[in-house]
Amino acid sequence: MPKVKVNGKEIEVKEGTLLIEAFKQAKEDIAHYCWHPGLSTAGVCRLCMVEIEGNPRLQIACNTVVTEGMSACNNSDKIKETVKWGLDFHLINHPLDCPICDQAGECGLQDQYMKFGKYTPEMSEHKVKKHKVVSLGERVVLDSERCILCSRCVRFTSEVSKTNELGIFNRGDRAEIGTFDGKPLDNNYSMNTVDICPVGALTSKDFRFRQRVWYLKNGTSICTGCSTGCNIKAYYNEEGLFRIKPEPNPDVNVYWMCDKGREIYKHINLDARLTEARSGQAGNWQVRESAECLKEAGDAIRQAVKDVGPTRVAMVLTGQHSQEEYQELVNFYLGDLACREIYHWINNPEQMEEFDGILYRGDRNPNTKGLLGILAKEKVNAPWKQLEDRLNQDSVDVLVVAGPEDPSVFPDLMEKLHLFGKAKKLLWLSSTKSEIVDQVTTPTWQIPLKTFFEKDGTFVNFQGKKQEFKRIATIVPKAMGLTDVTKVLSGRGEGASQGDKSDLDWKKTNFFVQQRGPL
Amino acid sequence: MMETKLLTEHYDKDEYIGLDGYKKHGGYEVLKKALKMDPKAIIEEVKASGLRGRGGAGFPTGVKWGFLPDNGEPRYLLCNADEGEPGTFKDRAMMERAPHQLIEGMIISAFAVKSNKSYIYVRGEYQMCIRKLEKAIREAYDGGFLGKNILGSGFDHDMDVYSGAGAYICGEETGMISSLEGKKGQPKLKPPFPAVQGYLAKPTIVNNVETLAAVGPIIRDGAAAYRKHGTEKSAGTKLFSVSGNVKKPGVYEVPLGYPLIDLINVECGGLEPGRKLKAVIPGGSSAPVLTAEEAMKATMDYECLQGMGSMLGSGAVIVIDDTNCMVDMLKVIMHFYHHESCGQCTPCREGTGWLHKIVNSIVTGEGRLQDIDLMLRVSRQMMGKTICALSDAAAMPAISFVEKFRDEFEFYVREGRSKVKGSLHA
Ligand SMILES: Cc1cc2nc3c(=O)[nH]c(=O)nc-3n(C[C@H](O)[C@H](O)[C@H](O)COP(=O)(O)O)c2cc1C
Ligand code: SF4
Ligand code: SF4
Ligand code: SF4
Ligand code: FES
Repeated sequence: MPKVKVNGKEIEVKEGTLLIEAFKQAKEDIAHYCWHPGLSTAGVCRLCMVEIEGNPRLQIACNTVVTEGMSACNNSDKIKETVKWGLDFHLINHPLDCPICDQAGECGLQDQYMKFGKYTPEMSEHKVKKHKVVSLGERVVLDSERCILCSRCVRFTSEVSKTNELGIFNRGDRAEIGTFDGKPLDNNYSMNTVDICPVGALTSKDFRFRQRVWYLKNGTSICTGCSTGCNIKAYYNEEGLFRIKPEPNPDVNVYWMCDKGREIYKHINLDARLTEARSGQAGNWQVRESAECLKEAGDAIRQAVKDVGPTRVAMVLTGQHSQEEYQELVNFYLGDLACREIYHWINNPEQMEEFDGILYRGDRNPNTKGLLGILAKEKVNAPWKQLEDRLNQDSVDVLVVAGPEDPSVFPDLMEKLHLFGKAKKLLWLSSTKSEIVDQVTTPTWQIPLKTFFEKDGTFVNFQGKKQEFKRIATIVPKAMGLTDVTKVLSGRGEGASQGDKSDLDWKKTNFFVQQRGPL
Repeated sequence: MMETKLLTEHYDKDEYIGLDGYKKHGGYEVLKKALKMDPKAIIEEVKASGLRGRGGAGFPTGVKWGFLPDNGEPRYLLCNADEGEPGTFKDRAMMERAPHQLIEGMIISAFAVKSNKSYIYVRGEYQMCIRKLEKAIREAYDGGFLGKNILGSGFDHDMDVYSGAGAYICGEETGMISSLEGKKGQPKLKPPFPAVQGYLAKPTIVNNVETLAAVGPIIRDGAAAYRKHGTEKSAGTKLFSVSGNVKKPGVYEVPLGYPLIDLINVECGGLEPGRKLKAVIPGGSSAPVLTAEEAMKATMDYECLQGMGSMLGSGAVIVIDDTNCMVDMLKVIMHFYHHESCGQCTPCREGTGWLHKIVNSIVTGEGRLQDIDLMLRVSRQMMGKTICALSDAAAMPAISFVEKFRDEFEFYVREGRSKVKGSLHA
């Protein structure tokens, strides 16, 4: 482990560490744009300049591997002057349109100027004109005048997504990012380019102009889009969720996430949600209290078990819920009811084993592995065929379904509901409202569930890695977690949902945001 | 003093272009000698000769060859015939008048560095050079000087010509390698250096046309004979492409250390009558300009010009008489670097454009006095901060023009026209 001195601080670093990483490790500020820990070194922004003892020339820290005894600094007057000018070179042709730029508030140019710049600009010539509002693909827009040509986006598409849609065309100060003919930036990882773009050159069509970032709060969690379980940051405020970005985790998603995963906020927001419990069937639904419905359902379940035995009730679980929740439900069935009729609904059997070689997996559930683990531990292995037979023979009195949080990954929803409707009574637990569910003809209780955004829990990803997540905020006050649902079902308590206050402020909902069509 | 013709001796004979004529004058005899030598001995001889790279940087050629790692990987020899530095046209003369001389020098060099494949990267505008080289290479294959088992030595070597598209940056060695690899022609980050990871990530030597051609006479006559020409630190002869306000512009070969004023007055016949020498750019447009007084004292070698704050560069001497406006001239030079920056490194991409715009503002009468100092500050911040030396190449003329001819810039700003009588915007 080589020892290195950065700005006089002696630290020990791993073999092969870059000087720029050593500066970060030592918590010493170092300006930079082009270097990104998940990409190769380009060495083009020329901001990470350092003085290395014994070397008369300034060096870039991002292309210098630390060697034993190296001593480097970036706090000398010479470097400060260099960095200040380096920033000015980045800014002279920049449009400085921060007031209408989506990146404002989280922009590398703004941040680094405030930290290292603060000079009086001297450029008085006409700025270079370049293309603006260039649609690079379905999800990403480019403003070339804001681009600082750091080449991060290009390196991302060549090294990470390996799709090579982007290139730098033309040269000198006429150089611009662009896509090759007939090759739009439409891969499933395209939005990562927006994340790593240090400026407002690449923006997300989905997010732009919807919120100023300083009006957003954020919390970390786990993506529920597939069994990879990418670590994420969810950005929200009292109007709802607005975007999802990746959180680095070297063991799971490194620095990235897929574009599909970024969509998950849409079914957490209010307009997708089942907001209140109801009972009834097609054409005749009544709004009810969750606890009341659950008490009725619990009574019905226990009655059926008492009258005709434990095979008259059944429970269907999806890979959408947390470990803690599964355990409660399973305990209730195995313990209280002595019933082993617990079934695993595989929502996309043909795709389950697919993998795109980067992150996105065919198993579009966050916790299939966890569910299978609990079922195996409890030695529950009821085959799906058995459930089908029982339902077709009219021999299920009450069926409990812990259903989808994201209905879009349940292509078989209609078909399965047709089957579930053959039970005499159905308890449908789900966070999303669904027209398909509203069509069931059997008497049904629909109970609104919390999403991962609104509860604590643990998912087990495809690797078997346990990942905990915490409640970030509440969107549907009446939604319950499955743990509380079980309490009421089993008659052991009331369930804690009613007390939760929504973190949404209905009055603030922005009319413009709702009316805005696609870009 | 007169020219000393080590390389250019037969340039005046048309027959020297073809293989037969070349052989008549002793062509490929050195190759025969070299193929019997130990490759290491050739490298030692080149080291001992003191030959320095003629492409601009003046790096000792034998030392560069010694950087190749001994790892058994295939090695490439690349001949830099991009000749992009404004004012330079000496490599063109070599390729048009003596293509076999270059090819022979390259085969010897390739044998020394144990490379079985070489490319000559020629700038796209040099169509005549490309045709002549291609023909000469065919002749060399037919004569048994290229291909398998050259002259029974057991050494194989293949050679190809590759045409650039006229980008200055493709003359920078790693820019050239990118271009040769089929990528956008832009320099690569160093380290790794080409000698370790160059073309196709294999060990690669890049040398200028004149450097490689000089290997022939060095091996023929020995290092000691070569060293008889030139100075202690600048051995041998050098081709100078002289242009500008002289009576006889052209390519002249003189020993290094030759007085600049003799080159102008003796070789090039002096200035037009009635004109006065004002300044000389001694080594291509990126070399800092010399005033007339400095030029009178300068000798054409690496150390003297460096001592004067300029450089020998590619040996392109641009002579400027008193009818030329230094502001107008700097505008042309800045336009060139602005146009040619590859745009990777921010200080170069933005700085070259900024400098061009400032000097343009001055020329169009919109300049401000503070712009003159601003040009100095911008230029200084472009130096020593980028991947390749193009940024420095743009900054150096700007700094030297402004520092040495400040009165012309101030006059231009104040009066909105050039101070120089007889110039375009006077
Ligand atoms: C911007 C730039 C342009 C260059 N153009 C040329 C050129 O046209 N021809 C050349 O021989 N060397 C050129 N060079 C120098 C090469 O990078 C390299 O140093 C040279 O080819 C090495 O050969 P030598 O050691 O024989 O001089 C250029 C360098 C820079 C920075
Ligand atoms: S678009 Fe953004 S990421 Fe891409 S080169 Fe420009 S500034 Fe860098
Ligand atoms: S790969 Fe899976 S977990 Fe990761 S972001 Fe995409 S959907 Fe979410
Ligand atoms: S210094 Fe200029 S020309 Fe050289 S690599 Fe950087 S941007 Fe390109
Ligand atoms: S971060 Fe090192 S040059 Fe850009």
